Amino acid sequence: MKGTSLLNENTRLVVVGATGREASQVVRESEALFPGMILAGVTPGKGGTTIEPDVPIYHTIKEAVAAHPTIDTALIYVPASSVKDAALEAMAGGLKTVFIITEHTPIRDASSIYAAATAKGVRVVGGTSLGCFVPGVGRIGAIGGKDPSGSFAPGGLVVLSKSGGLTVTTAEMFKRRGYGVYMAMGIGGDVIAGTIYSDLMDELQRDPHCTALVMLGEVGGSYEEQAAEAVQAGRFTKPLAAFIGGEFQEHQEGVAFGHAGAVVERGKGKASTKKRMLAEAGPNVRVATYYHNLLDCIEELGVRPEETAAKQGTVAPRYATI
Amino acid sequence: MGAGPPGNPAPTVRRSLHDARETSVNLYEHEAVSTIYKKHRVPHADHVVATEPNDEVARFVREKGGGVVKAMVLVGKRGKAGAVKLVKTEAEAAQAVRDIMAMSVWGEKPVAVMVCEKADIVAELYCAVTYSSETRGPVITLSMEGGMDVEEIDPARIHNFPVGAAAEVEPFEIRNMLVEIGFTKDYGAIVRQASMTIASVYRAFWASEARMLEINPLAVVRRTKTDRKTGKPVEALELMALDAVVTLDDDATVPPQKTFGERSAYKREPTQREVDALLIDRDDHRGKAGSYVEPEDLGGDIAMMTFGGGGSAVTIETSYDVGLRPANFTDIGGNPPAEKMYRISKIILSKPGLKGVLVCGGTASNTRIDVTLGEGLVGALDDLAKEGKLDRDLIWVVRRGGPEVEKGLKLLAECFQRNGIQGRVFDSELPITQAPLILRDLLVEHRGYKPGPQAKAQGA
Repeated sequence: MKGTSLLNENTRLVVVGATGREASQVVRESEALFPGMILAGVTPGKGGTTIEPDVPIYHTIKEAVAAHPTIDTALIYVPASSVKDAALEAMAGGLKTVFIITEHTPIRDASSIYAAATAKGVRVVGGTSLGCFVPGVGRIGAIGGKDPSGSFAPGGLVVLSKSGGLTVTTAEMFKRRGYGVYMAMGIGGDVIAGTIYSDLMDELQRDPHCTALVMLGEVGGSYEEQAAEAVQAGRFTKPLAAFIGGEFQEHQEGVAFGHAGAVVERGKGKASTKKRMLAEAGPNVRVATYYHNLLDCIEELGVRPEETAAKQGTVAPRYATI
Repeated sequence: MGAGPPGNPAPTVRRSLHDARETSVNLYEHEAVSTIYKKHRVPHADHVVATEPNDEVARFVREKGGGVVKAMVLVGKRGKAGAVKLVKTEAEAAQAVRDIMAMSVWGEKPVAVMVCEKADIVAELYCAVTYSSETRGPVITLSMEGGMDVEEIDPARIHNFPVGAAAEVEPFEIRNMLVEIGFTKDYGAIVRQASMTIASVYRAFWASEARMLEINPLAVVRRTKTDRKTGKPVEALELMALDAVVTLDDDATVPPQKTFGERSAYKREPTQREVDALLIDRDDHRGKAGSYVEPEDLGGDIAMMTFGGGGSAVTIETSYDVGLRPANFTDIGGNPPAEKMYRISKIILSKPGLKGVLVCGGTASNTRIDVTLGEGLVGALDDLAKEGKLDRDLIWVVRRGGPEVEKGLKLLAECFQRNGIQGRVFDSELPITQAPLILRDLLVEHRGYKPGPQAKAQGA
């Protein structure tokens, strides 16, 4: 099987909320890149119609799965207030993987979705996921846009990022230095995320295609700390380079940390804590000072680029008037 | 690293620029009590709310034989700030109301005071419900050591109880928690009533779509009640919420702003430029260019034209880290038309005291670079030059990738040349966070710029 448990050559998708503006564009562009991965769309009230390029729309996921039994993954684009409904519908329909692209899922709904997914053994990614891309295998969501080949080269890095935009920016930064990507995925920055770094570490440790992990984290929550704990427990021994954003906010007022939040998280959540815990987690981990130092971290950890002819050193401006 | 020396914090970046998910609405105690506590029957002291001494306050204090006057502020540690006053007479109450309304509580002006019946407190618990990123679900936090700042409680005496993501926690589950924290040692007689009260607190948290509901103290109080059978007064203990710190989920099904109004994280009024920028997106939903804020202290000398949430955040952070002083923040995205870019460009460049400009974004998947930079920004620069308002002492660094980047950067570079603008233009070959470093080094070399003391030594 080519690919990961999240996205592989057998992945077949139903897009929930497929007739919306953003979703229908993603369907069109994804089918142009990897024809045949998206089998159906669901929009209650628009069953019986089709969207370009000939993807049938159903009222319900149940109908879609009955007509296309190989569907195993839902890609959710519905408005935030309907995300819980759509995610639970996907689980009830027997789907094993659910990507939530929608932003601003109510936190209460996110906790309900996570509880249901855990009980049923379903993998939920997001909310606020940018999606997932495995070069040469497939693409879930808008990640990489119309032509991901500009930003992604095939290779061995796995990029996991809370920030959607930085997922692609990071893949491209590494491509410019000759490194390719095995899988890039936006896990989203929601308080309650369906999938976090440590949820994937056991699989990535086993998968020989993964040569190293590039982790982009942010202030808040404890998902980066949990990644550090997983490394410390020996669950991930491959090279790991991490960048954690938001430390500069620690000296500022108005950052969202309630008393009780801080108590429950036991001092976790600060960018400085995340960096320290990761740096101390094991010899296979490097924490980048600046974001672009991720390149140096991966080099220092002995990961070889796939393309050694790539340009190194100072970047000359395209245009200069000073 | 860090944003600045102690006592001189970097200005607050309004959270919408970083991460809209972090936004939330905090409630004043009187709002939480009159809505959430009342609806879900969380017991609270009798009270009146006022903004000045009045007959209602006088009558209340007379009838209750005194009271506690508390400032309605969002900031914590009111007691330490002297914003909670015990009063015995009507005159004392009137004075306390006036004094507190005139106070600044850790920099915050009270919106009202709450005059509460003084409770006969026997013990103080700490109680909170919030979400844990460890269990990815709700957690009830309880301690017998309430009443003090929660940070001062011995962590070993604070107990976290994860609960399922459900609308209700059964009272028996709460009783198990109360036994575990030692509540039943002294107050076993009221454990049933206490468990019902805390179950109501949880229900209130869930139903109101709060991100956090904290009660400190949740007090064991002695109350005099009338015995139903004998009709005689008897003393009884019960649990009562003597405070309410509630943070509602900004993403809630019913947006809390609709019920409680907008809450600004800022202590100052918006500037004219911030107001003008808001108008850009108001009647035109094509892309987003009007998300513009200035530092709380209005300082800074680097204009920041940044694109995309994650890209904007990492660029702003790196700018501070290398010792640049941002004068404004933008988060442009979603392929805005040239006209919007024209307007925001003029606003960004109109901030007084600028020394440099950083135009920085990752690789856009949708936003057209020829339209945003090649047309919108170029149009603004050409017009500023014509109007004689173009500051040619500014140094520019541009870093951008995305659709039509070749064309967009070429048009911008030509505009730089014809207008005598000094700058360097990069595509996505340059890692995004090297752009602030390059701008800093150019400013130091050509303008004698003095970077902030927080600049990191290594990394360039």
